[in-house]
Amino acid sequence: MDFAIDPHTARRLAAFDDLGREQMRPLGLEADRLGRPIPPDHPYFQTLIDLGFGRTRWRPTQEAADKTTGAPVGNSRATLLLSEQLSYWDRGVAVSAPGPGLGEGAIIAMGTADQKQRYLTPFLHPDKPRWGAFAMTEPGAGSDVAAIQTRAIRDGKNWILIGNKSFSGNSSRADFILVWATVDPSLGRAGHRAFLVEHGMPGLQDFHVERKMGLKAYESTSFRLEECRVPGANLLGGEDHYAHRAGFKGAMDTFNSTRPLVAAMAVGIGRAALDEAIGFARAQDITGDPRIRDRLERVARKLRAARLLSLKAAWLADHRQPNIIEASMAKALAPTAAFEAASLGMELLGVVGARGDHLIEKLFRDVKAMDIVEGTGQIQRVIMARKLVGLPHG
Amino acid sequence: MFDLTLPEELVLLQDQVRQFSATVLGARHREFEAAGAVADPVRAEYAALGLAGMELPESLTGAGLGTQAKAVVLEELGAADPGAALALDALGPALYPLAELGGEAALARYALPLLEATAARALVVWGDSERPGRLCPLIQGSRATGTLPWVPAAKADLLVILDTQGAAVIESGFRLTPVKGSGLRAAGAAELVLENAPLSAHWENPAGAARALARWRLYTAALLTGLMRTAAETSREYALQRVAFGKPIAHHQALAFLIADMHSAVDASRILVQEAAWRADTGLPFADAAATAFVEAAEAGMFVAPNALQIFGGQGFMQDLPLEKYLREARTLALMAGGIDLARDLAGAAVADCAAGFALSPLRAEDA
Repeated sequence: MDFAIDPHTARRLAAFDDLGREQMRPLGLEADRLGRPIPPDHPYFQTLIDLGFGRTRWRPTQEAADKTTGAPVGNSRATLLLSEQLSYWDRGVAVSAPGPGLGEGAIIAMGTADQKQRYLTPFLHPDKPRWGAFAMTEPGAGSDVAAIQTRAIRDGKNWILIGNKSFSGNSSRADFILVWATVDPSLGRAGHRAFLVEHGMPGLQDFHVERKMGLKAYESTSFRLEECRVPGANLLGGEDHYAHRAGFKGAMDTFNSTRPLVAAMAVGIGRAALDEAIGFARAQDITGDPRIRDRLERVARKLRAARLLSLKAAWLADHRQPNIIEASMAKALAPTAAFEAASLGMELLGVVGARGDHLIEKLFRDVKAMDIVEGTGQIQRVIMARKLVGLPHG
Repeated sequence: MFDLTLPEELVLLQDQVRQFSATVLGARHREFEAAGAVADPVRAEYAALGLAGMELPESLTGAGLGTQAKAVVLEELGAADPGAALALDALGPALYPLAELGGEAALARYALPLLEATAARALVVWGDSERPGRLCPLIQGSRATGTLPWVPAAKADLLVILDTQGAAVIESGFRLTPVKGSGLRAAGAAELVLENAPLSAHWENPAGAARALARWRLYTAALLTGLMRTAAETSREYALQRVAFGKPIAHHQALAFLIADMHSAVDASRILVQEAAWRADTGLPFADAAATAFVEAAEAGMFVAPNALQIFGGQGFMQDLPLEKYLREARTLALMAGGIDLARDLAGAAVADCAAGFALSPLRAEDA
């Protein structure tokens, strides 16, 4: 057993300290104050590109090797720790960062060679900030992704997409959006197809940047697909892929690897709240109060357990072992632990928190989303119960 | 980098102990409880596993295995019968003050003879140095006096008093009077009275005492993890069999969610124990981590065990089934090693007084 962080990852985590303190935190607070996402032309994004961020993990030369060994061997644990640390500085700003986005994993896993070439190559050595986006959630389908209604209708060599998508991160500024649709809602998951929809394709329209309680630094955008015509070549994986595989699997693969990641983000927010709360309590000279110490202890303990359980889920994924229960466990526990940290911070602040201009107050608003995205805490328990006691679907 | 793979030899050990626990201990736990002792043939089978000296250094004929290995073994034993686990472990957590404060000389002098005797027991008791003499022994000069209302033993060959300042070894001048006991009765249950008991050794070393207490906490937390694993698993299986309102009760969402949360509580306790044990074996500071693991296991035990009984309904309350025993034992285990509030004090201080910006940083100030 080993609970150490390797020196290479440790250096990468520490490398974010200056960026986090000097840019991410202030940018997050500014976006929160202004109530709008960081604009795409903000110099911060170019800074990220110049520092080497915003790139894809896909490598054209990896293709041959991947063919023989399956999907590339991941280091989910390092990625997870980096996500936690970025969220520690500011989760909203972290999500706003340029890059191929949430769909990257599905494109690498399912995409044709041509699709990877077309959509990921621009992210190999980007000269300017570029975004990719992912659109699954709809007004009537959140955690229950099998219930999506956006229709994909074949029209000769093309596809026509009709429907509405909600809360898609960075999508109005994205070069492409990986849009999930169904060829037949009655087929459930088996009817799902993913399409690479490019910015500017006719029918991709009505972008609406939502107003949120927190996490305002990145855009959560709803949009409409009004008979949006997409070339057949943009069906993720091509026709062959769906001929012999269940369409839904691509989406579920993405979710399985991202639940621990979202859990880690929650831990990062919780840690930020805990650190700020301790700092405030110390300045007020109230850390000696056993009542306060007990509550700090509880919050720190729950966050510590959540981090370790997230790492466990990632470690299982890295070793290609089933991690459904563990991924959902981490996702179920971390957001509530982080919420408790932020809420305790508010209690320690007292009426200072009620002013609405303290970092902890922002974190308190930010953190609630973590129990909702990537499947709510309730859905995680449904998933766990399916595995543990065979809880029937539906 | 973070890796939970157990070394091959530890997997083998785990399998052996699991087998012993399932076939021997688990089958006879009510018998041990009624007798307040573990039967001799079972002792012989346990001895054959070679666990008695597993933590002793090889120079003292031990196996030189670490805290992680011990935690694996204790979880397996606790899964069947934590009272029997205490009864069978001659040194038990009394090993830790001897090792951390007395070193190899003390282990050779006090621990080795117990391993050679039959059914010997060393006992460690917490001496509250904040409130000396209150429901715990009072050390005055070279002697100790006082009454401890309960210890998990019917007899003791060696007594170790551990407090925040150090530890004392006592070989005579004390007596154990049987009491009924609430949980862990398989280990025996007695009131301990010391009357001017002479100290055979007395070490002042707060840092060593803190490490000894931390290892005692991990010992207890590992037993608790095993116990609640069994409680959670037993009630999960039952919830699939028992039908109410037309379907297995496990398929009513109130219970499905509860079962998921119970499963999570066990995993959370285990991984906190594993991390603290790894820190101990790696030579890193581990007292805070061990206190955290103990608090979590104690609280989780008080979540999992009563809910496991609850899932069985009225049957859970009956002594035909082990659920009520799991609950008493979880409650009792969480009273050991100085209790939960003492651990909370330490873990809370570690958070409240940590270096600025290092509360739970992956790169902790103490390691940097």
